[in-house]
Amino acid sequence: MIKRLTVVVGGLAALMTVATPVLAQKQGGTLRATHRDNPPSASIHEEATISTVMPFMSVFNNLVMFDPKEKLNSADKIVPDLAESWSWNADKTKLTFKLRQGVKWHDGKPFSAKDVKCTWDALTGRAAEAQRDLIRKNPRKVWYSNLKEVTVGSDSEVTFTLGRPQSSFLPMLAAGYSPVYACHVTGREMRSKPIGTGPFKVVAFKRGESIKLVRNPDYWKKGLPYLDGIDWKIVPNRSTRVLGFVAGEFDLTFDSDITFPLLQDVKSQAPHAVCEARTTNVNTNLIVNRDAPPFDNPKLREALVLAIDRKPFNDVLVQGKALIGAAMLPPPTGKWGMPPDELATLPGYGQDIAKNRAAAQAIMKSLGYGPDKPLKVKIATRNIAIYRDPAVILIDQLKQIYVDGELDAVDTTVWHTKVQRKDYAVGLNLTGIGVDDPDVNFYENFHSTSSRNYTGYKNPKVDELIDMQSAEADRAKRLKIVGEIERLLVKDGARPVIFHGIANTCWQPAVKNLVLQHNSIYNSWRLESVWLDK
Amino acid sequence: MGSYLTQRALLMVLTLFGMSVLIFVMLRLVPGNIADILVDSAGIVDPVEKARIVKDLGLDRPIIDQYLQWIFGLARGDLGFAYVSERPAIEEIAPRIPVSANLALLALIYSVILGVPLGVISAVRQNTGLDYFLRVVSLSGLSLPSFWLALLILMASVQWFGMIPMYTSEPRSFIDEFLLLSVPAAAVGFRSSALIMRLTRSSMLEVMRQDYIRTARSKGASQTSVNYQHALRNALLPVVTIIGIEAAFLIGGLIVTETVFNIPGVARFLVEAIVWRDYPIVQNIVMLIAFVTVMVNFLVDMAYMALDPRIKYAD
Amino acid sequence: MALIDHDAELARAGANVSGSWSGMLFLARRYPLGAVGAAIVLLFILTAVFADYIAPYDPTSTNSRASLAVPSLSYWLGADFMGRDMFSRIVHGARISLTVGLGATLLGGALGVAIGLMSGYIGGWVDLVTQRLMDILQALPLLVLALVMAASLGPSLENTIIAIAVALIPNVSRVVRSSTLSLREQPFVEAARAVGMGELRIAARHVLPNTLAPLIILGTAQLGSAILTEASLSFLGLGIPEPYPSWGRMLSESAAEYVRTAPWLVIFPGVAISLTVFGTNLLGDAMRDVLDPRQRT
Repeated sequence: MIKRLTVVVGGLAALMTVATPVLAQKQGGTLRATHRDNPPSASIHEEATISTVMPFMSVFNNLVMFDPKEKLNSADKIVPDLAESWSWNADKTKLTFKLRQGVKWHDGKPFSAKDVKCTWDALTGRAAEAQRDLIRKNPRKVWYSNLKEVTVGSDSEVTFTLGRPQSSFLPMLAAGYSPVYACHVTGREMRSKPIGTGPFKVVAFKRGESIKLVRNPDYWKKGLPYLDGIDWKIVPNRSTRVLGFVAGEFDLTFDSDITFPLLQDVKSQAPHAVCEARTTNVNTNLIVNRDAPPFDNPKLREALVLAIDRKPFNDVLVQGKALIGAAMLPPPTGKWGMPPDELATLPGYGQDIAKNRAAAQAIMKSLGYGPDKPLKVKIATRNIAIYRDPAVILIDQLKQIYVDGELDAVDTTVWHTKVQRKDYAVGLNLTGIGVDDPDVNFYENFHSTSSRNYTGYKNPKVDELIDMQSAEADRAKRLKIVGEIERLLVKDGARPVIFHGIANTCWQPAVKNLVLQHNSIYNSWRLESVWLDK
Repeated sequence: MGSYLTQRALLMVLTLFGMSVLIFVMLRLVPGNIADILVDSAGIVDPVEKARIVKDLGLDRPIIDQYLQWIFGLARGDLGFAYVSERPAIEEIAPRIPVSANLALLALIYSVILGVPLGVISAVRQNTGLDYFLRVVSLSGLSLPSFWLALLILMASVQWFGMIPMYTSEPRSFIDEFLLLSVPAAAVGFRSSALIMRLTRSSMLEVMRQDYIRTARSKGASQTSVNYQHALRNALLPVVTIIGIEAAFLIGGLIVTETVFNIPGVARFLVEAIVWRDYPIVQNIVMLIAFVTVMVNFLVDMAYMALDPRIKYAD
Repeated sequence: MALIDHDAELARAGANVSGSWSGMLFLARRYPLGAVGAAIVLLFILTAVFADYIAPYDPTSTNSRASLAVPSLSYWLGADFMGRDMFSRIVHGARISLTVGLGATLLGGALGVAIGLMSGYIGGWVDLVTQRLMDILQALPLLVLALVMAASLGPSLENTIIAIAVALIPNVSRVVRSSTLSLREQPFVEAARAVGMGELRIAARHVLPNTLAPLIILGTAQLGSAILTEASLSFLGLGIPEPYPSWGRMLSESAAEYVRTAPWLVIFPGVAISLTVFGTNLLGDAMRDVLDPRQRT
């Protein structure tokens, strides 16, 4: 019970420091953080999960980044990172970055404009033979479908040439998902022990066990980072993680790891812990196979949309704290979603659930279904609690409109394969949005050419509107088009959104200067200015 | 004797060879292969990217080729590359072995310390209240799933100490390591001690019925000395066998216990690798377990032969 | 596992087991622990069979207001995060456990008997090959073998049964084989052979029934380990998938989330597993005492 003793001593130390006034940043200390699972790899560009971004973002730099001091990511709050400055040409199709000089990769090699070119050439499938392996899978290809060319002006100048103006291009480069990779490092290294220019170096990535980062002493931002290192411990069992945090073994929980029922427990056991609830911009939605019977019938999809009562999902899963919206994250944290009064005019979003249900029942009856002749459907979902739990509620609700749903819990490792094969009728799905931006969301999920549009949703009108809003520079005009797209998506039953998630992230009071952003979970983990007051 | 040993060794090689074929084929039946899974974490399945990964990993080659490459590599001590971490499989597996081995050893010590004396007492006091009580306890030990027992221990330590034994991979002092491992080892060991106790008891009873014990008693040796000196010594022989059975039993217990306590041992790694379809890891760990099991059985037989002069292995 | 070679002894044991009420009473008094075990197993079977009538709620229906409800009069064992009644889920879980336990024991037993009989009776190279195959299966601990099998077949109720059954085969076949080997040379078998009975018929009519006692003993023990193995597999996420309420999976889910906030979700499914396995173990011990007097303790 040696550990117990240190916990007590640590608690005393914490008490004593509470009394002292806010001090200047302290250098040193190791941040101990929990991780929920084994990251599939360390290569941010190759993955689409917070499991990779959260621990490895601090190994890299971007060209530009969202102002880390701001609570909301926004296009007008973008600050320099590896790029000292940037400028657009007159017709807004050429974006030129002036790069910082004297920056070194963790292995001592100098950083130059060539590395920027290598990275985006690889992301657009134009990599030279030597860098073919740098990125072997590319989940965000659609982000760069408008990127025609990257040209190196000098060692410190690089130009991105676009096919047409795209005001979302810079915000996408500012995302945590857009680090700059090195030309001279292989894909295999990037996946297992990556090399970046960032504030922390990877010492070891032990699969299923830990990720150890140490301070990069040669970091080009003078005086940063404050921490000596970061120890990520992979603990797959959430109870154990929370217990470890409560007992003071960890300084920081995994992103959004503390659900609301757990929050009460954390608050009572560790009253000094700082917990922040924030919208995650990860939404829970339905995917409907519109190419196969019975849901190739638009009437049936309409009934499905009308049958959803969003409140019980919200109440059971997040104690009523979630935001209800359509495809874009709604206000107050979302910058593009519809305000509530406008939202209420969308099909299925009205307050009168009974009326919606009656309409849905009428549709079902007109199609020949009824209490004695229910429609039997398998509801496919990934076999993890955050997917399965809402699916169970959905099945419960669908009984009301004569749909007899059976849960088909799909092994989590083959979920996307199954969805891509269209081997489902109705699925319950979660979609995480990397940047609160219409281009990111619509191009990824709803444009007919996107590989992540796994429902195979095709509406030429929507495609046209997506391109239109993307090229629109005026925010007010763009917002209007976005609203129009949202309305069409809801009407077509394209991935009906049930709710936008919200969850808590907690840290010990000694952790200072950690700013979480409330419209994306993927962009706030550089951790260079976080310090420990110990 | 010599030819018996050769025969046994040949059989062992044959068994391990069979196991290698079995595990190799079974893994390739699994729905969803590693390429699916690697691609899946990107949230999309791009057929071109997938085909490239399949090729990179050599999964497009004939299964016979893949098998031969593995088995010849294995013979040279080359375990291949782990698919997920892309590091040599040996580097992934080797550091985890001592963790599991320490845990297993500690659990074994626990179970012998607990199981043998209780088994003896139970036999000596046959059909008394104490005997019944101990038998029920040992049976319940066999009935409690070790993962549940582990969970109960976790819950209790949270309740009483406000903390949990968290296994960290940093180098620690011997005593610290011992304290941390002793809790999960108790969870595994309790179950195994039940088995040891039951078998000790029945072999004790068997021995106590033998003629020479009666003789010793009739010659005036005291009851206690007969029980403990004569009977126990002879009853220990079957206990050696039990320890052999234990080895297999313990590995099963380790899998769930390492999972519950988050111990980075080789048994938990097996489950993770199965979930990830990381064939090189699964194949090699399964072979390791098979090797350990087969080897322990062999050593037990040898020990038996050495201990019991009555047993002769005819050529 | 010693075999029983005296018909008379078997008959006596058989009569004791399947006899009248007074016979059962006699047995219960003689083997009180066995009687307790039998009662638990009976309770388990009845629960599984009549789950629909016993469970007060639909085990799959959710209720937002009952989320993580503490045990109370309306929710005897509390409710889970989705507000599903724990008691109902455990009652229905008995059905899953029984299906898998019995299914795997019977399937594994049948295959084991067939292999063991063949191996022991035919002998020669057939015996040699099957024994080497059994060696291979036995080179892995039960749980590891079941784990690999379950993973390679994919998670489903049927596949879990098959995976566990395969893992149970070697034990059964070894017992049957050794009984068969010694029975083959018994006078009554030779007599049957002398009157011109076919080998297959001899095996089925004379050899098999005589291996029954050790089989019953082994079967009871294996029922317990099959149930336990299912629970372990499901706990590790490689056993019974949703929507079936499996005890092992219930335990793993609540263990992952609610050890602190709702400990009853961890305690009750574990009690259910332990009690059931305990019952089969007690019964198994008693069976051995009754059927195999030489091992009597």
